[in-house]
Amino acid sequence: MEAEVIKAELVLPTHMSFKRTQMYEKYPKGQSKVRWKQLKQIIQAENYQNYDPDEPNYVNIESPPSMQPCKRICDITGFEAPYHDPRTNLRYANADVFKLVRSLPNEYVQRYLALRKAAVVLR
Amino acid sequence: MPFISKFQRQTDYNRFPSSTPIVIDNGASYFRIGWAGETEPRVVFRNIVQRPRHKSTGETITIVGDHDTALLRYFDCSRSGPRSAFDNNVVCQFEIMEYILDFAFDRLGANGSRIDHPILITECVCNPVYSRSKMAELLFETYGVPSVAFGVDAVFSYKYNQLHGICEKDGLAICPGFTTTHVIPFVNGEPVYKGCCRTNIGGFHVTDYLKQLLSLKYPHHMARFTWEKVEDLKMEHCYIAPDYALEARLFQKGGKEAEDKTKRWQLPWVPPPTEEPPSEEEIARKAAIRERQGQRLREMAEAKRSSRINELENQLHGLEFLLQQLGQIEEEEIPSFLSETGYTSKQEIESTLTKVTLSLRKAKGEPKPEQAENEEKTDSSTSEKYPLINVPDNMLTPEQLKEKKRQIFLKTTTEGRQRAKQKRVEEELERERKTQQDEERRLENPQLYLEQMRSKYKELHEKVEQRKRLKTNGGHTNGSSTSGGVGRGERLNAAQRERMRLLTTAAFDRGKGEDTFGARDEDWQLYKLMGKDNDDDDDGPDEDEAELARVCSRLQEIDPTFVPKPEPTPLQPATAEVPNVRPLTKEDFQIVLGVERFRCPEILFHPNLVGIDQAGLDEMTGVSIRRLPSKDEALENRLTSSIFMTGGCSLFLGINERLEAGVRMLRPCGSPIKVVRALDPVLDAWRGASIYAASLKFQQQTFSRSDYYEKGEEWLRRYQLRYTL
Repeated sequence: MEAEVIKAELVLPTHMSFKRTQMYEKYPKGQSKVRWKQLKQIIQAENYQNYDPDEPNYVNIESPPSMQPCKRICDITGFEAPYHDPRTNLRYANADVFKLVRSLPNEYVQRYLALRKAAVVLR
Repeated sequence: MPFISKFQRQTDYNRFPSSTPIVIDNGASYFRIGWAGETEPRVVFRNIVQRPRHKSTGETITIVGDHDTALLRYFDCSRSGPRSAFDNNVVCQFEIMEYILDFAFDRLGANGSRIDHPILITECVCNPVYSRSKMAELLFETYGVPSVAFGVDAVFSYKYNQLHGICEKDGLAICPGFTTTHVIPFVNGEPVYKGCCRTNIGGFHVTDYLKQLLSLKYPHHMARFTWEKVEDLKMEHCYIAPDYALEARLFQKGGKEAEDKTKRWQLPWVPPPTEEPPSEEEIARKAAIRERQGQRLREMAEAKRSSRINELENQLHGLEFLLQQLGQIEEEEIPSFLSETGYTSKQEIESTLTKVTLSLRKAKGEPKPEQAENEEKTDSSTSEKYPLINVPDNMLTPEQLKEKKRQIFLKTTTEGRQRAKQKRVEEELERERKTQQDEERRLENPQLYLEQMRSKYKELHEKVEQRKRLKTNGGHTNGSSTSGGVGRGERLNAAQRERMRLLTTAAFDRGKGEDTFGARDEDWQLYKLMGKDNDDDDDGPDEDEAELARVCSRLQEIDPTFVPKPEPTPLQPATAEVPNVRPLTKEDFQIVLGVERFRCPEILFHPNLVGIDQAGLDEMTGVSIRRLPSKDEALENRLTSSIFMTGGCSLFLGINERLEAGVRMLRPCGSPIKVVRALDPVLDAWRGASIYAASLKFQQQTFSRSDYYEKGEEWLRRYQLRYTL
């Protein structure tokens, strides 16, 4: 290991005196075999439906959908977008942007759409 | 910069008695750890772990937090990027969490056999009990911590600022954080989680949005937009527009004000060395060098040629001498003489002689005399040249028959060539005649002629263009948008459309009825049709193009104002590629931040813009007030007159004003509204927790290992700190 790396103490030591179980004892192969639960799985396992709905929990404190009218802005420039291109589904502000929209390769169109989660997702 | 990491190893760990709690603010973006009662955390670092491989030794190592990136050059980070223990705002990956805690305690200076201090650690609002219990388990089992307490960061921040008189005991804490935004109402100095609400948007989304937008706008500078850099850009330049629509219109119109608000980031760029036109001297020198080189080459070629000529001449003399000798010696001695020379017969010597003579002529540059004569001869003496053709087969020996066949073949080919030549001559004549006619017509009425020519040119040009456009298949070259609706999806030509149809039908045709494909031979034709090379059906286009070229050149002759239309350059998406025609300038290496400056943080108020269908910051306050169990107007007014902003995203300029305007629209006319910002939106949560943990009654709020195992999960679910001690 290079001297400057050691000097900066960049690398986390594998043995810590203050630990009862060291990392290498818990995960002998370097990486755990344990598949940690994703948040979705955790929420599912919590079984919130069995509890009083008036009791606040992780799921029911989420905000409801917005009541305000959805703001439409041009996907490319960010200006207000009165128009919508039915072919690419992009919103655009004016004729110049429209020209650009039509000349965009499909990959870019999809990336712009993905910004507002409107892209076609193939599963 | 509000976020500054500090991870110097602390040396005074043993100075603190084991009753002093350790306070941890475990935020999704930054981890802060320090001692209760102090005003600053001791160790602060980004809450990430990297596990790269060392390039030379190949061992996998663990790096916690953000270090000097220059040191990372010794490691191969391509396999795994920085990882976080968080999913949304909940800790899920406890393996990563353990690395982070290891690093944190290590840097705090811990050196005993266990961490013998009570721990106060922050968590999100309504943390799922799974995450809470795993965290407690980790602290108890692995680090041997005596007792633990969990609290909410935004609440600590509120309490800290309440202590400093920034906000009241009744109020609303609004905390736009890294991955989520919370609104928590406070009544009598205690948070009311019942009225709390959360939108899953935060600084992470703002940075990500900015990163995506910039890399779409400047695809050729994509590598520049690292997460850290974009984060810096965000913190330096982004602001919240008082009214998004107005601000956007300002930029759309352009003008001085918009120009002032536009920021530019100049990437490192070295102007290419300007080439000075070479001086006279230089040109002369270069020409001289070229001349000298040419001279040398010529000399070399000359030398080679003369040596070859010499060689050939020598050979010729030798052969002639040989023949002479051959003529002088006796008939019987010929074979022995020949065997000495290496030739088998006199004929062979003669043929070699003619060959050598020919090549000598060639080397000397003399024209071949026979060739020219030959052609003339063919006309006059067909019968002489092909004597066997007119002789009936039955009169010939097999050898002669073969010879006859060869002669017939030779004759037909020569005749064919002749015919072609004649045709060429005729065509030439015809063309000449046509041009003459043209010229006559032009002289008759030059104006009309010119008009006709022009219209013809236009027509042809369009026709050729049309065909070209049809041929361009997909790709990025959209025929120019000037010609109207030719765009996406319309540019496939008929053959390609047919091919696509065949492919799709083939894809969906399987599985119904019996599969008889291949029973008939014609079935296999399908693959030929599907093949990609199928679509070049160019029979006629050349004619038109040739005609176009003719008309074009003619026009150029007679019309000085005529300029041929240029080849349509494919309209590049203005941002998609650095135009490689013109030399690159400084401007090509500038990242312009215009609308992006306020477009990105706008998602906090309108999560819809990034496809998150939840209420924005201003609406959330309304939602939160509505969720409160007691409908009490006086309380509601007290809440809105102490709206408190904390969390990293509340550092955006203009967020207070915008929020105030937003809340004003939701509340009844005349309600008191006051929005305040935390003293330090980033560190106040830790400071609040530090003060809280330093209080004498803190011990009553913690739970120990035995509590954890005795009281069970249900108790842990209800576990909640009392924040007012």
